[in-house]
Amino acid sequence: MPTTTWTREELEAPAALSAVPAGKEPLIRIRGLHKRFGKRHILRGIDLDVYRGETLVILGGSGSGKTTLLRHLMGMLRSDEGSVTVAGREGGDINLNQADAEGMEGYRRRLGVVFQMAALLNSLTVYENVGLPLVEVDQLPPEQVMPRVVEALRRVYLPAHEILALKPASLSGGMRKRVGIARAIIQNPEIILYDEPTTGLDPVTVNGVNELTLDLQKKLGVTSIVITHDLDAAFKIADRIAMLYLGRIIAIGTRDEIRATQHPVLQQLLTGSTTGPLTEAYLAGHSVA
Amino acid sequence: MNRKTTMLERYDRSTSVKAVEQVGASAISSIQIAGRAILLFLDACACLPQVGRSTVTLIRQIDVSGIGSIIVLSLIAFLTGMIMAVQTGSELEKFGVISNLGAIIGATFVREMGPIWAAVIILSRVGASMAAELGTMTVNEEVDALRVMSINPVRFLVMPRILALVIAMPLLTVLADIVGMGGGAVVATQMFNRPYEEFSASARSIITGLDFFSGLGKSVVFGAIIGTIACDRGLNTTDGAEGVGRSTTQTVVMSVVFVLLADLVMTSFIQVILKPAVG
Repeated sequence: MPTTTWTREELEAPAALSAVPAGKEPLIRIRGLHKRFGKRHILRGIDLDVYRGETLVILGGSGSGKTTLLRHLMGMLRSDEGSVTVAGREGGDINLNQADAEGMEGYRRRLGVVFQMAALLNSLTVYENVGLPLVEVDQLPPEQVMPRVVEALRRVYLPAHEILALKPASLSGGMRKRVGIARAIIQNPEIILYDEPTTGLDPVTVNGVNELTLDLQKKLGVTSIVITHDLDAAFKIADRIAMLYLGRIIAIGTRDEIRATQHPVLQQLLTGSTTGPLTEAYLAGHSVA
Repeated sequence: MNRKTTMLERYDRSTSVKAVEQVGASAISSIQIAGRAILLFLDACACLPQVGRSTVTLIRQIDVSGIGSIIVLSLIAFLTGMIMAVQTGSELEKFGVISNLGAIIGATFVREMGPIWAAVIILSRVGASMAAELGTMTVNEEVDALRVMSINPVRFLVMPRILALVIAMPLLTVLADIVGMGGGAVVATQMFNRPYEEFSASARSIITGLDFFSGLGKSVVFGAIIGTIACDRGLNTTDGAEGVGRSTTQTVVMSVVFVLLADLVMTSFIQVILKPAVG
């Protein structure tokens, strides 16, 4: 499709994909989500369902609104319009936009977040970092914290007893990421959010993190939402892939559906071409997050 | 008659308007920061009942801020005491009242110099590093990670830091008082050949309990101000490494201004209201 024939409406029109996992209930429902920061309209009407037990990868170029969407899912931002609703464990949905402190704490106890740079507290040891939610939130005694820290580190294939006393600064990037994942899973969360989990890692470590993500989903049955622009990682770990472009979801489908789509934005992302709507949006100053 | 403005006039107007705008924006920003800092301080006070859960952090912070500041504060207080004694003593000697040197050095240190020097050392050494540490944690998403884990950053990070300064400041002030007067005593005995007993008796004759405790009271307030501003600036850091540097600078500048303002208010209150009332 020649560049000059694209209209904004064409580019933002949803691709004709409708992958809905059979027999699964949505755990998270996002409806009509809008977010503005001053004059910048970052999220412009996101509609998205995340199903129980699936791994949904949200792809998007720089400035597409990925981080803003993730912060809504963490409950760190409240939307200007629309809602993010999470199905309750025992009935009763939680609207993150209206949740009070108690409701938000309840939601966050079901949530684990793997941050881009792991976000480990540098003044604490690996043991203190991984056990932090157990000590500070659950207020468990040390004799109950230690075995769970060791188990969480074992799950992410780290030699617990060798690194427990180390500070994050003395770990490699891949190890820090794994420690971050161990901290995210130590409270047995129902939902794990990954923010660019493979950014800044070498290819071998990237594969390790991808396999770990798959492994955790298989063993723990968690619902995972992965925000990334790493295509290889996306196609390796995703049950479904959603494409975010200029604050809207323009496509959502299985890996095969996404690969087969002719949507120009997806095509540019898949081919890695330096010319196309993603580049034009960036050059036109539509960078949003 | 319409007269075309020259380029120079347009330039002058625009620069003066810009200057006024900048001053206004800076004033509004400072008031907003101060308002937010007060709310943060109240939040931290609300977390005080949970101080038992932060004992380790609190001890670590007292160690960093208090113990770590002893040597530099002692050195500065000692030198200041000596300089003041040299300056003041020379003049007093001319009038034959050198025997009052202890009173002047003592009163100055206990009432003002002790708390102020402790505050200056703490804000430049501890406040700046506190803002940089929390600022780095903020830009590295460590504070977000705490929030997502339902750990209140005010309870976990802010309250122990402010409390540590509130505890450390009076102790450092007492140290500055003693060492500063010690410096004055060295000059009195070695340079002006006055007996130590005279210096000591002169100091004791003027320093009252109110002087001593009002100095300690001031230092507690200074500690709270420095800790609150440092934590507020740190937690509101944006724009990566550049933002961390900006937060650190703002902490030092704002702490100096607010410490001196608080000192003015408290000194006026003590001298005008409290002292006459106590007698």
